[in-house]
Amino acid sequence: MGPEFRRNLWLELTPRRVVFMIAILALVFFAAAVSGPSWTPYSAAETIYYLIVVIWGARNAGLSIVNEIRDRTWDLQRLSSISAAQMTLGKLFGSTIYNWFGGAICLTVMLVYGFAHGTPGSTILDLIYYVIVGLVAQAAALLASLVAIRRRSAHSRLDVFLYQFLGVVAAIAVAYVWEAADPESALLLGRKSSDVIPWWGAVVSARPFLLLSLAIFAGWILAGCYREMRRELKMQNGPLVWAAFLVFTGLYVAGFDAWLPHEAVMANWNVVALRLALASTTFAALTYVMVLLEPKDRVLYRWYASRIASGGVGLALWGLQAWIMSYGATVLVSLALIWWLFAQGYGAFYPAIAVAGLGFLTRDVSIFVFSSATRRRGDFVAIVALFALYVLIPAILDGVGLKSMLPLFYPTPSNPVWLGPAIVWGEAIVAVAFAVSRVALGGKRVASGSWQS
Amino acid sequence: MIEVRDLVYEYPAKRALEGVSLVVPPQTIVALVGPNGAGKTTLLRCLAALEPPYSGVVTIDGLDTREHPREIHTRLGYLPDFYGLYDELTVRRCLTYAAWSHGIVVTAVEGAIAKAAERVGLSDRMESKAGELSRGLRQRLGIGQAIVHEPKVLLLDEPAAGLDPQARRDLSVLLLSLREAGMTLVVSSHILAELEDYCSEMIIIENGRVAGGRPIKVKDVDRPRYLIEIATARSDFGKFLKDAGVDVVEADEHHALIIHTRNAAARAKLLHDLVTAGFEVSSFGESSKALEETYFSQIGKRTA
Repeated sequence: MGPEFRRNLWLELTPRRVVFMIAILALVFFAAAVSGPSWTPYSAAETIYYLIVVIWGARNAGLSIVNEIRDRTWDLQRLSSISAAQMTLGKLFGSTIYNWFGGAICLTVMLVYGFAHGTPGSTILDLIYYVIVGLVAQAAALLASLVAIRRRSAHSRLDVFLYQFLGVVAAIAVAYVWEAADPESALLLGRKSSDVIPWWGAVVSARPFLLLSLAIFAGWILAGCYREMRRELKMQNGPLVWAAFLVFTGLYVAGFDAWLPHEAVMANWNVVALRLALASTTFAALTYVMVLLEPKDRVLYRWYASRIASGGVGLALWGLQAWIMSYGATVLVSLALIWWLFAQGYGAFYPAIAVAGLGFLTRDVSIFVFSSATRRRGDFVAIVALFALYVLIPAILDGVGLKSMLPLFYPTPSNPVWLGPAIVWGEAIVAVAFAVSRVALGGKRVASGSWQS
Repeated sequence: MIEVRDLVYEYPAKRALEGVSLVVPPQTIVALVGPNGAGKTTLLRCLAALEPPYSGVVTIDGLDTREHPREIHTRLGYLPDFYGLYDELTVRRCLTYAAWSHGIVVTAVEGAIAKAAERVGLSDRMESKAGELSRGLRQRLGIGQAIVHEPKVLLLDEPAAGLDPQARRDLSVLLLSLREAGMTLVVSSHILAELEDYCSEMIIIENGRVAGGRPIKVKDVDRPRYLIEIATARSDFGKFLKDAGVDVVEADEHHALIIHTRNAAARAKLLHDLVTAGFEVSSFGESSKALEETYFSQIGKRTA
């Protein structure tokens, strides 16, 4: 048991709070037991579990570091000898120990009820799911707060609500995925349930596959928390974990080729092309997510440049940000896709779209870097710029009958086929030039007495 | 113990430290002084291995802050200017948590917290909640947490801010005792008058640089600072003193702040030389505000 977990035990699990939780839950379950068939102790335990562990627990996890920053104790913790793993687990499970205490009571009620009604196998799988959904919600909220504190030190109530919200959204995603294997819930939602899932050409049983997938992604979220915590504790992360995550995610998503609409845009594509397209799209999505989340630190980019200039390429690569690695992976897999499409004789149409897509990605990340390198709210400016480029201006052009200019704004076929990609890459090169000049030249001065030290 | 070479630190939109170099010998107390926003806190955070330098090297006990931040943290105690305590925990539990979090083995924790509490004078408050302590006692608890693992280096950012005169005096005594116990201390402060009580050197930070380019001796028993005043203005006052081999800190037509030997005969000779040269000496005595005068004489001077 690490010091941080023990400190949280002191603060969270006081005898008074423990007695209060037991008394309240006992009252609720008693009320459910006597109130009739529509509200059973099982359904009450299920609802309360979501309230206590998922919703409230996500809030506590999101607050665990924000409170330290607010109370000005975070620096003292960062200077301690507590390991990153101890600190991560201490924050994640320590700050939510009271929630898990209440949740454990709910799970016990569900277990007893499930065994009493003769469904032990299903009940145990459900319990695993409930633990995972709680863990994912809390870990996602903690991860969101850890990512946010890299960007700024002030955190409003709205920010904390946002971290909690992201945790709950992650939990809803887990619940949604789980329902795909739950005939009863799927039926209620009007969707077709499925007992099997096609993945990498094999047909696997849905429930164990989804449970394993959820557990693995919960593990990746925990790994993300651990890495962010290492960074907070001034430990170097290196690129290997993110690279492993990219490889895993690319392979995982690429296995779902059977789910793509073969009859539509990707008519007659063979399975390799489909899987490469899925992987490159996944990497591109991760690039956008990470370029938004990570600080576009001008000082860090200058440090990269100075290390490379002094021959320390390895050192610079070791410190690469996740969005840069994701961008690199997108380029590599997209080039492989383009080569494959040419090799298989698909013509220039699809490769041109892929080249244009890479150009747009390059332009967009450059806009993020350009906007954020010296501004506090640069990401917002970049999002507004991209909204204008992808939505507003195309809508106007479409409205005034200038559809031929649309290839300037998103990957669409052009005539001649390589004109669109050429123009997009022109945009991308200009955006890169602006971003590099902003990073290299802007604002490098020694300030006078008005500095914030 | 602490060595800084050409330290440059940048925030995204501004450069906070520019070519700072300094050396802090072991078992000394060095003060960081300077105007608000000069870069003192940034420098302390760089020394604490909380902020990596953009360029330059910071070593603590021979370890580079960029390469070995975690190892440095085990040898370092740091109390930020705005620090927090766990208000709901007792003094004992605050110190126990600090001891655990600094990796003190279980069997040594009780001894470590007893020693830290005794050093900071909180032995009789162990069961009080941190949130119920006065400002001065909270400061002591903060320092107690920072020294519970017996660090080699202790960094304190404005430790005297908000303390009453008695608490400040107690703080001075505490800092001197920690130095005697073998620690090296760097203390950022705005209150120049009290630095003389415990500091051996003062480093003035101005606009991200070390003003004057070097540390200044705060108190030298053998060579104190003297203030000389003359009744009639003489433009050659400073030059005369320099030519006489005197270490002139600052001089104008009426005043001179000098560093000179305490030896009575030497002082008598200097006074005689001045009078002989026609200077109407109206006052010659040890400066009571020497540190303040030195500070203002250095502000504006930059490293070459």
